[in-house]
Amino acid sequence: MAAIFPRTIDAQLRQAAVGVVVGVGLVVVGWYYYALPSYTRVGYQPEQPVAFSHEQHVGQLGLDCTYCHQHVFDSPHATVPAAQTCMNCHNPKKANVKGASPLLAPVRAGFDTGQPVGWKRVHKLPEYAYFNHAVHVNKGVSCVSCHGQVNEMKVVAHDQPLSMGWCLKCHNDPGKSLRPATEVTNLTWAPDAGQTREEVGKAIQKDLQVNPPMNCQSCHR
Amino acid sequence: MLHEKAHETHETAGANEPLHTRFADPLPRIPLVWGPATFATLDDQIAGVTERPQPGWWWPALLVTSAVLVGGVIAATYLISTGVGVWGSNNPVNWAFDITNFVFWIGIGHAGTLISAILFLFRQKWRTSINRFSEAMTIFAVICAGVYPGIHVGRFWYAWFMFPLPNANHIWPNFRSALLWDLFAVSTYFTISLIFWYVGLIPDLATLRDRAKSRARQRIFGFLALGWRGSTRHWRHYEVAYLMLAGLSTPLVLSVHSVVSFDFATSVIPGWHTTIFPPYFVAGAIFGGFAMVLQCMIPARAVYKLENLVTIKHIDVMCKFILATGTLVGYAYCMELFVAWYSGNPNEWQTFQDRAFGGDYTWAYWTMMTCNLFVPQVFWVRWCRQTPWFVLIVVTFVNVGMWYERFVIIVQSLHHDFLPGSWGRFYPTWVDWLQMVGDFGLFFTLTLVFLRYLPMIAIAEVKGVLGMANPYHTPVPDAEYLKANGRYPTQDHERAAAFGPPSNAPRAVPASPEPVPAFIASPGGTGKPWGVVAEFANPHDLLVAVRRARDAGYQQIDAWTPYPVHGMITAIGRYRSRLPLFTLAGGLTGLAAAATMQFYLSAYYYPIIVGGKEYRSWEAFVPIFFEMTVLFAGFFTLFSLIGLCGLPKLFHPVDNHPTFKRSSLGGFLLTVEATDPKFDPDGTRAFLEELGGKHVAVVEG
Repeated sequence: MAAIFPRTIDAQLRQAAVGVVVGVGLVVVGWYYYALPSYTRVGYQPEQPVAFSHEQHVGQLGLDCTYCHQHVFDSPHATVPAAQTCMNCHNPKKANVKGASPLLAPVRAGFDTGQPVGWKRVHKLPEYAYFNHAVHVNKGVSCVSCHGQVNEMKVVAHDQPLSMGWCLKCHNDPGKSLRPATEVTNLTWAPDAGQTREEVGKAIQKDLQVNPPMNCQSCHR
Repeated sequence: MLHEKAHETHETAGANEPLHTRFADPLPRIPLVWGPATFATLDDQIAGVTERPQPGWWWPALLVTSAVLVGGVIAATYLISTGVGVWGSNNPVNWAFDITNFVFWIGIGHAGTLISAILFLFRQKWRTSINRFSEAMTIFAVICAGVYPGIHVGRFWYAWFMFPLPNANHIWPNFRSALLWDLFAVSTYFTISLIFWYVGLIPDLATLRDRAKSRARQRIFGFLALGWRGSTRHWRHYEVAYLMLAGLSTPLVLSVHSVVSFDFATSVIPGWHTTIFPPYFVAGAIFGGFAMVLQCMIPARAVYKLENLVTIKHIDVMCKFILATGTLVGYAYCMELFVAWYSGNPNEWQTFQDRAFGGDYTWAYWTMMTCNLFVPQVFWVRWCRQTPWFVLIVVTFVNVGMWYERFVIIVQSLHHDFLPGSWGRFYPTWVDWLQMVGDFGLFFTLTLVFLRYLPMIAIAEVKGVLGMANPYHTPVPDAEYLKANGRYPTQDHERAAAFGPPSNAPRAVPASPEPVPAFIASPGGTGKPWGVVAEFANPHDLLVAVRRARDAGYQQIDAWTPYPVHGMITAIGRYRSRLPLFTLAGGLTGLAAAATMQFYLSAYYYPIIVGGKEYRSWEAFVPIFFEMTVLFAGFFTLFSLIGLCGLPKLFHPVDNHPTFKRSSLGGFLLTVEATDPKFDPDGTRAFLEELGGKHVAVVEG
């Protein structure tokens, strides 16, 4: 009787088994790299209808965040500015900074018609997650913690994953991320010499009694 | 070596004096296989079922069961696409048919492992005829059960939330929840049952491979059998691996239904919050499981003419199990009722009053009592246990009763809890019914497919319990068969004797289908000999030959047998396998993993208070400690078995020997390898021929 399988089959099987193990391992590793918000969300950088540069307005001109996002300290929403805010400087009939620039046409149109400029939303939380900007910034969480160095961005990009696990990391141990409430919008803030961020943060946590909730219903209401 | 010495002493004592004279039975022992049977007839009878065309009823039956299964798939699809609202489950009865059927099927799944593991540890050899079937049934029943936790959450694609997988949400399961224990218990049970079943199947898959005529069957079963050839070097690991798996499964089978009962017992609902639940559920599971085994086995044994293997005595013993566990369950019913009254707890007592006397579900309660407690009492009578059609009727009652038991516990307790304002009844919808019937369709479809494609009786194990399988077996004279002092001592002896006396071991090696040359070339071989192969007629001849070869100074000897022959491991110069060390390592790994996972996640990573306990309070972690210990130990056992045996080994030089495939059928082969210092192609071949070996040939490596 002849053998059922050729002589080489066992070596081939073992190679195939190694291949399967490596393949599955790569799929798992790939999944954990490519399928999480740290990859799918971070780096999202849509082209906006107006090429507004935060780098120029904040980094060079020194506008404060709250000049445009004016309700961030008293509202759940940071608020995207109306065309009116832009027109404080860019109105051709008033300050007339680049008042005739074709790049600003959508802003002028928005101002004239009352229709909002179609800004593309970069940071978007799911509807089932409740987030309040005011409580965070008032307790010393800087804009930079979630939005990155916006003062250096010519085009705004998604800087942090904004996943639930990412939120919880800070909720579990907020001390490291806090700074004086007055310095929240100072994106280049650094602690005084001889102090670490952690020391400052811990002191603020104690001072402002920051005790972030870890239970489900604090965000999923 | 001391080790070896001890074994030899034991062996020589047995060889000089037949065991049956030293430990004589007071009565002639009824054999496990009735009537004449040899290794070859067993193969024909059992493996033949999967090879011959199926009986005429098989296709219509499969058509019916798969049509019913499709009904279940439709119900599940409708549920998933629409929402769980299509079921009748609603406040206050939020668990109804889904969990009733889940617990029912999990319970059914208990008999298989009980039969294969616990009876194995107790050396109950009659289990060999029914263990394969009931293990398969266990696996199918757990699949049926697993359908419900999968779909009853509605969005089944979030089912992975139940597993502790790292995720972007950084949330983990609550390790202190009985429902999570249940997940671990059921998935461990399924995995270990599958491993146990597969390990048991390996020798039989080799038998199917070696009987196969078509190329496709040879290849499929060749792959599945991993290259098993019945080497004694493999059997020594195999037997120990099987024992380890039996040892792991025994506490596991008891844990699974205990944990299922915790789903109820750890809550505060009157009717659920009871410490009696774990033992009561386990007894009920064994009760229902045996009933389902009989429900399927009685028709199968009649259709496939297996009465000599699954004898009336098997049915008798299983009925005794049903009687014993049914009475235990009945005792638990009465105790529950008594304690509800005796505890003086008004909520508990009103629930039980409603349950047993004049409530909405009293009819279900008394259906359960009748089917589970009263009807099985007929099994006190021998006739009732030994009449298959009657047993079939009784076990049908038991299966119905066990479904009602879960229905009563779940639905009746929920519909009448603390607040009269929230009382309400449960009304099943058509989707509930279709899903439930569809689950039966799934079970019977899988069972029919199993009967068609795999041996429903463990062939190798049954070969091992034949009288002739024992190398020291002394045949009983026909006239005296099963008689003591000239008459049959019991009715059972008479029934067994009616099948005829058992066959005796073959005295001569059957002829080879093709001539056996002195040197068998192997295509693409090395040109050098691998070793010498010789065939012997029966286990006794082989054992004698192996011992002589050892005495003559050969060391690289292997004996290839269809079942593990007693004493062969020491005869070829090997010892008991060290495989248990791997099992132990696996158990410790599992325990360490479970401890690390639960403490780290619950106390440090995401500390959250559950039930007012400390973060690190360990008591609620114990069920998962246990389940993961068993799970890892099972995996280590399987992989160490495969590794120590050097499997898969689909090609072996001996495959080119014309009669070598008999090693998985009814042949007994001896090989001496070329690596042996005393090996000499012609000399060794002549030596083996001198020992009485047939078809002796040198095989190219």
